[in-house]
Amino acid sequence: MTEIDDVQFIKRVTQGDEGAFLALYDCYVSRVYALTLRILVDPMLAEEATQDTFLKLWSRAHLYLPERGSLLVWLLSIARRTALDRLRLEGRRPTLSDAHDPAEAWQTIPDSNSVSEESYWRSLNFAVQALSPEYRQLIELAYYQGMSQSEIAEVLGWPLGTVKTRLRAAMERLRQAWGPK
Amino acid sequence: MTYFEHLPFLENIPAYALGALDARDAAALEAHLQTCTSCRDELVAYRTTSDKLLVSFPPQEPSAALRKQIQRRLPSAQKPARPRWNWSLSRVAVAIAIVLLLVLNVVSLSQVRALQDQQAQLLDQIQNGQMALVMLSYPHTQSFPIQANDLTGSFLIDTEYNNAVLILRGLPAIPEHQTYQVWLIAPNGERTSGGLVRPQTDVPFLSQPVSATQDLANFVGVGMTIEPAGGSDQPTGSQVFRINF
Repeated sequence: MTEIDDVQFIKRVTQGDEGAFLALYDCYVSRVYALTLRILVDPMLAEEATQDTFLKLWSRAHLYLPERGSLLVWLLSIARRTALDRLRLEGRRPTLSDAHDPAEAWQTIPDSNSVSEESYWRSLNFAVQALSPEYRQLIELAYYQGMSQSEIAEVLGWPLGTVKTRLRAAMERLRQAWGPK
Repeated sequence: MTYFEHLPFLENIPAYALGALDARDAAALEAHLQTCTSCRDELVAYRTTSDKLLVSFPPQEPSAALRKQIQRRLPSAQKPARPRWNWSLSRVAVAIAIVLLLVLNVVSLSQVRALQDQQAQLLDQIQNGQMALVMLSYPHTQSFPIQANDLTGSFLIDTEYNNAVLILRGLPAIPEHQTYQVWLIAPNGERTSGGLVRPQTDVPFLSQPVSATQDLANFVGVGMTIEPAGGSDQPTGSQVFRINF
């Protein structure tokens, strides 16, 4: 689905067009569910968060501003917040083991000759997994567990300054790896 | 602002883009971003990076049931609430009944008032008729016949007791904006109002006392004209009759 389609479909959703809503669901649900599952781990909780995300899309479609970014990023931002809220509600502490094995990630990396959008986004995973385990863990705790730097320092038992320095370095690595696209 | 002054804010931008900055630092950075273009640009770059984290893993399909489950929860798919017609109809019925009762009350009230007015007029007629009969029994009462087209009647005058009654039959109805006015005529032709007369539609004749501030013996005739409602100081309309004593 192109961005032009997104704008047209989201406009129809604001008018109560259920067909347009389901088209957006079919297009983006695998992305939303993958993110909520990444955060919540439990498939049932992930499906509930996915459902809440799409119901928010239905009721708040009028708030989407195309000039601020793609519909996918907007939808995933909602999904992330929804899943993190659920995580806090459940009161679960993050697991400190590296649940996302780089070797497994290698299997999902597409052929480097592929130029499809799908292959591009999947290639992002490679950059994450190419980070050192410490950096990856910081990204995991900050972005996918919704923890502040102070909370991360407490959980890992690191000085706050160390957390800040390493988190900044991790983001800088990803920024360089992913380039300006 | 120098680079070193920017540095604490610049260092916090990556964590802010991840949503991991502590609240106090986040508030300070947000205030700084209001006025610093270069830091805003830096934030946009790191936001682009953090946005990519949203899709940096393979998509996964949820269960097929989720689609139907979400579809069922859409407001349009939910059964509309049962319209409360019974409640609405009963309210409408009560409202109509109240309006009808009010209308009936108003109609009844106006009918009662009309009857009261009619009763008062009839009472006046009776009293006037009795007065005319009494006057006829007085030895000094004079009676002057009135005859003008279809209008007939008498003017009874008793100068000793200073009473006079006008009895008319066949006085035509006139519009609301007009009235009949009785005039007492002095020897010099001057007219003095003797009262206003409005014929009753359901009474074939009328008898009405004629009053005057002066002694009735001072007048030599009586007449009637059609005047605007409320009467006039002097005759202005067409004459209905005139008699001389």
